[in-house]
Amino acid sequence: MNFFRSKKLFVILIGFIVLVVLIGYSLNSRGHLNFAEKIVSDSVGWVQNIAQAPVTFVTDIVSNVSDFKTTYEENQVLREQLSQQKSMVYDLQKLEDENEELRSIIDMTETARDYEPIYATVIARSPEQWVDQVTINRGENDGIQENMVVRTAEGMIGKVLHTSKGTSTVQLLTGFDEFNRVSATVLREDDKDIFGMIEGFDEETEMLLFRIIEESDADIEEGDTVYSSELGGEFPAGITIGEVKEVVADQYGLTRIAMIEPAADLFDIRNVIVVNRSIDQPEDEEEGDEES
Amino acid sequence: MTRRVIFPLILFAVMVLSGVALELLPHQLLMGTYMIVPHWLFVMLIYIAIFYDRNDTYYAVLYALIFGLLFDIVYTGILGVYMFSYALVIYIVRGLKKMLQGNFYVLLMLSAFGIAIADVSIYAIFTVIGFTDMPIEVYLLNRLIPTILMNLLFLVLIYPFIIKPMRKWGTELT
Repeated sequence: MNFFRSKKLFVILIGFIVLVVLIGYSLNSRGHLNFAEKIVSDSVGWVQNIAQAPVTFVTDIVSNVSDFKTTYEENQVLREQLSQQKSMVYDLQKLEDENEELRSIIDMTETARDYEPIYATVIARSPEQWVDQVTINRGENDGIQENMVVRTAEGMIGKVLHTSKGTSTVQLLTGFDEFNRVSATVLREDDKDIFGMIEGFDEETEMLLFRIIEESDADIEEGDTVYSSELGGEFPAGITIGEVKEVVADQYGLTRIAMIEPAADLFDIRNVIVVNRSIDQPEDEEEGDEES
Repeated sequence: MTRRVIFPLILFAVMVLSGVALELLPHQLLMGTYMIVPHWLFVMLIYIAIFYDRNDTYYAVLYALIFGLLFDIVYTGILGVYMFSYALVIYIVRGLKKMLQGNFYVLLMLSAFGIAIADVSIYAIFTVIGFTDMPIEVYLLNRLIPTILMNLLFLVLIYPFIIKPMRKWGTELT
């Protein structure tokens, strides 16, 4: 009985029980922050907003200096690319006009491709790298909701995990697992698109794992670009995710997994765009009709 | 009176700064195999435990509980992980301190020991709840050792600025 009389051990045991309860609570109620958590996130986010400015200033100077070194080479390459793109702009314009015209004929105004952007800045990155979260300075007040896609100019970086009034937490693609999947697609001609899910990140090779669910006759190849697909129901279509680097069989040999190199730099994120899908999801269709 | 306010303020500032700490590191380090976790909050708590706390006060443990919980809410979303690890290890460090003198080498030794135990405890909890499946030998080499070294560097860097006020406040504590 001496064991239970020892005050220190008793306190540590109580602490351990509290730990288990807290972890159980936070694993169960994910998605929504409770009231106290929101207040803490907001007030810390407010201070982070201030603290982030001088730090960004310093890191910007450092990166500017290193950018100078490569400017000349980059300039050469970009000039070359620019001349190629000029002709593409014309084609694109033509196609867009045509597309709009055809769409107006069949009376279809919104597609899964359209979205409203909300611009935000990253104010903090979780020091715990197993969690793979960043905090951005826009929240519920700016119209951000859970599960919205977050992208940079280069491509998709993750989705909104939870929100408070003035900040929200973004789960990066590197932290995705079986419970946080993104439906994705590789475009092929004649309805032969390849569909699958992004369902994880391989730490060793730093590649995303793209499980191919429906494989058409057209085989997936190295260098194919993977886009988000509207089939998941949450995300708009056509956001670049990455480029296929390698295709391997999964551990059971039933499906194949493509290793994808993310298009966006997931380690150096400053300005992001939160993507608000314009087309309404089926369950709030009536509500959406009233608005429009 | 000011003592009551100044430590929470410093700890809060350190907690906020650790959110941008990773930006200060070169990105090659982050993208590589090594994982570096800034336990700056913990380093500050060790300073408080060794140079401020008396044998009959538990300020460091109390602050570890409060700011560990805040850290969990803001940065991980899993409540209790940092709170429990930090508070437990600070409590152990506090116990060890009684046997040793409060000088620089003891600080260095206790910090290295403390950071190691705290990070292993965090690793253990995250492994149990399935947040990471890193094998232990990879963890030891790629995360634990770089983390200890980086945080000791932080500890040594702030030592000249913090040691005098810390000692002064410590003697004023009644």
